[in-house]
Parts: sequence; C-alpha cells; structure tokens
Amino acid sequence: MTRQDIEKEVRKIFLKEFEVENPELDVNLREAYGFDSIDAIELLLEIEKFLGSELTQDEKKLAMDIRTMNQILDYIEMLASRRAAATEK
Amino acid sequence: MERRVVITACSAITPIGHGRQQIVESLQKGASGVRTLREDELITRFIHSRVYGTVDYPIVYDFARQHRKTMGPVAYYACQVAKEVLAQAGLPQDFVTGGSLGIAFGSIHGSPTVQRDIYKIFFEAKDKATYQGIGAVDYLKSMVHTTAVNISKMFGITGRIISSGTACTTSSQSIGFGYEAVKYGLQDAMLCGGADEYDTITVAVFDNLLACSTAYNDHPERTPRPFDQDRDGLVVAEGAGAVMLEEYEFAKKRGATILGEVIGFACNSNGGDLILPNLEGITKTLQLGLRNAGISAPDLDLVSAHATATKMGDIIEAQANAAVFGPDPYVVALKSYMGHTMAACGAIETVLTLYMMQEGFIAPTLNLESVDERCAMINHVRKLIEYPVKTAAIQNFAFGGVNTSLIIRKFS
Repeated sequence: MTRQDIEKEVRKIFLKEFEVENPELDVNLREAYGFDSIDAIELLLEIEKFLGSELTQDEKKLAMDIRTMNQILDYIEMLASRRAAATEK
Repeated sequence: MERRVVITACSAITPIGHGRQQIVESLQKGASGVRTLREDELITRFIHSRVYGTVDYPIVYDFARQHRKTMGPVAYYACQVAKEVLAQAGLPQDFVTGGSLGIAFGSIHGSPTVQRDIYKIFFEAKDKATYQGIGAVDYLKSMVHTTAVNISKMFGITGRIISSGTACTTSSQSIGFGYEAVKYGLQDAMLCGGADEYDTITVAVFDNLLACSTAYNDHPERTPRPFDQDRDGLVVAEGAGAVMLEEYEFAKKRGATILGEVIGFACNSNGGDLILPNLEGITKTLQLGLRNAGISAPDLDLVSAHATATKMGDIIEAQANAAVFGPDPYVVALKSYMGHTMAACGAIETVLTLYMMQEGFIAPTLNLESVDERCAMINHVRKLIEYPVKTAAIQNFAFGGVNTSLIIRKFS
C-alpha cells in the first residue's frame, strides 16, 4: 500500500464522513475545516475499517496530537508498517 | 434591582404549522394537527392509543455538519426555532456572543431516538465491533441539556445555560427562569424554550397509565377534547417553541420590535404525589402568579389552560381556575389543536398566546362540543372571537408535581 493509496482513501473518508472536499495537506484541520476531537474519534474508527485491524488504546492515544492531513498519512503508514512487520514475524 | 422584561421574538414548530402565518391560519380555521400514530416498528403495535400530534411537513434545515454531528432530532427542532428567534430579534452579533445573552432551553429527556439506538447496542452487543457502534457523539445527542448546548454551540452564545427537564413544565420553566435571570440583572437577554421529538416511549408511558386517548383512533382530529364530557385522555405530540426575552431599556434603546412583556412567573411543587393532579398545589401556583405580576384576577383577559384532556386533570384545573380567577376570563385549551408537545408545550402555548394578542382574536378550544358540567364554571371559548387580549396567563402542570404560571401582557 503506497502513500498515494492511503491519501486517496483518507480523502474519501473526509468527503463522506466529514463533508470536507480535498483537504490541504499541511493546514491545521481544526482551524481550516472545524475538524475536532469528536471527528478524530470517528476517523480512528474509519482507519480501523481501512486497515482491517483494531487499534490499541496506545495507538489511539498517539493520534491525539495529529493536526494535519500529512500527519494522518504518516500515522496510517506507521500503523500499516507495524502490522506488516508483525505479520512477517 | 428589578427590571422590566420584554419579548422581542418568538417562533414555533407545531403540528398545526411552522411560524406565525401557518399557525394563526390553523387556529382561525380550527385545523387539528393530530394524526394517526406513525409506526416505529418496535412498540407501536402494542400501544392502544393510535393518535399523535404530528409535524408532518418538511422543514429545510441549513445547519453545517460541524453542528449537525452533535444533534439528534430534538436538537434540530430546538436549533431551528432558536435560529428563527435570533434572526427575528436582530440582536447585535457582539451581544449574542459576548456573554450578556443566556439560554434556557430543555426537553423531557434529550433524544429518545438516539437513546434507543444506544440501548439496542447495550442489549445486543456481542462483539467489540458492535460495541463501537456507540458513537462518540451519542451522549451529546441524547443528554438532557442537548437542546440548550447545541444552540449555544451553533450561535456562539456564551451566557448562562439553564436546562430544565421537568416534563410538561420544562419550557414554561425555561421562560420563567429566563424572565427571572433578566429581571434580576443576571443576564440582559435570554433565549428560552423547549422541544421534543417524535417518541413512542412517552406514548407508551401514558398509554399504560390509561391516560392516553383511545376512543378516537379512527378520527384523530376529534381528540384531544379538553373540558369536553367525552374526553378520554391526552394525545402525545412533537414540536418546539422559543421566545427571546430582553431587558426593556436595552430593547427600547436598540429599537427592537416588542411583542409583549412578561410581568409575572410562579413555580411551586405539590410536595406529594408525583402523578395525580393536586388542587391545592395548582391553586397556589395561580395565586402566586397573580401576586408576582402585581395584578388581580379581573385584570386577566385570557387563560391558556394546561388542559391535557385527562378525566381528573381538567376538572382540577377548572376548579383552581374558578377559585383564583373567577368565572370571567376567557379560557382556551390550545392542546386541543395539536396534543401535548411535552417539553415544548409551555413555550408553544406562550407563542400562540402572543400571536392571538397581536392579531386580536381568541381561538376556541377544539372538540369542546359538550362541556363537562364539572368544568363548566369557567368561561370556555367555544367559537373564534375577535378580542383585544391585553393580559394572559399561561399555566402548565407536570408529572412530578411541578406547577408553573406565566403572566404576559401586550406591550404598550
């Protein structure tokens, strides 16, 4: 799964769940689109569905500092690589 | 410090229409908003009462997603009437957000639709995925102060929040407590009201108490029948109502249109049975209302009765009315048009009374074909009359033994 694949999926989620069309990559999502803590929790559920894997409480807590789209993409990449590494073992 | 409190805007979503024009037209035509109870595909098949005061017309909501996400149906109603009242009042934006405007708004128990979904998961959750169906916002949609705080969020209102949840006196308390907040200088303005959404749990509660109307299931418009000898109980309904209360000097200075003045409010409790109507408690409320307004019974032109059309409730209310107000003031039971809108009824009945004051008429009690002789000692309005109402009392009585009396006056 490439970063482009992830970005495409996250943009789909933003449009469907948060009515945000093509969010910019490095703007503060709260300031630009009113994306708040409630949305962040909803996003985590969507990420779980996308990865087909449950997030641990610690992984969820890591997401609380996310402010931009690029940080979301970094976060999902990190989760995906963790899961790939766990599968290889 | 005691200040005069005026009403500078009002609006309502009711089973007989949305806003002044539709509602006045329905009152003048004698149109009922009671319809056949809509199916919930859960418990309606067990409910004996097949009637419901129904909002059956579309409402176009123009709320941004960031606001919609914390709103259940009851908050949609509440925010819509709040939006209309804010637009009508025309308060400066810095006043709205600056802390001088507060909110008194409630519902009987948040959003029952959302609560039902939560409980469905509660009882059926078999795995973690199902459990996660309890969304992050479900509490915000279903909590008892959901109407008030969604209004504060949507419009950036930062003053005090009062969110009464006292069943049928919810919104009469909203207006009363809002009146006191402005009167005593705690806020310069208060947006007050109440709302309740379509809910079959409430119908089931009254149905099981044998307090719901069942004899007119095939002719919904013929019930409820307050004070009529053939009344057979209340009809549950949905809706919302709101008023803007402002300190008089402030409203005058900014050139606001003044629709009326709140001149008195009383609230007490029966201190006993939580269900049965209580003559002593209600009588005391009506007396306290007059005293608080500084008027006497002959000053009252009109009484908007609580009158839910239950057997005992109407008789007790008629007795209290007769004892305190005497036989002269006109009495109308506005629930005859739409049923009992629960948390919204006090605000809706206040809004309708303001409309009648402004238009110079009094609507008759619908379905009052033959007055129960035990309720006959008061001056029932039996047909539409032209009348310049100057002073009116709006009274409401709730499960739990809570009673309110609001006194409003045409502004001059």
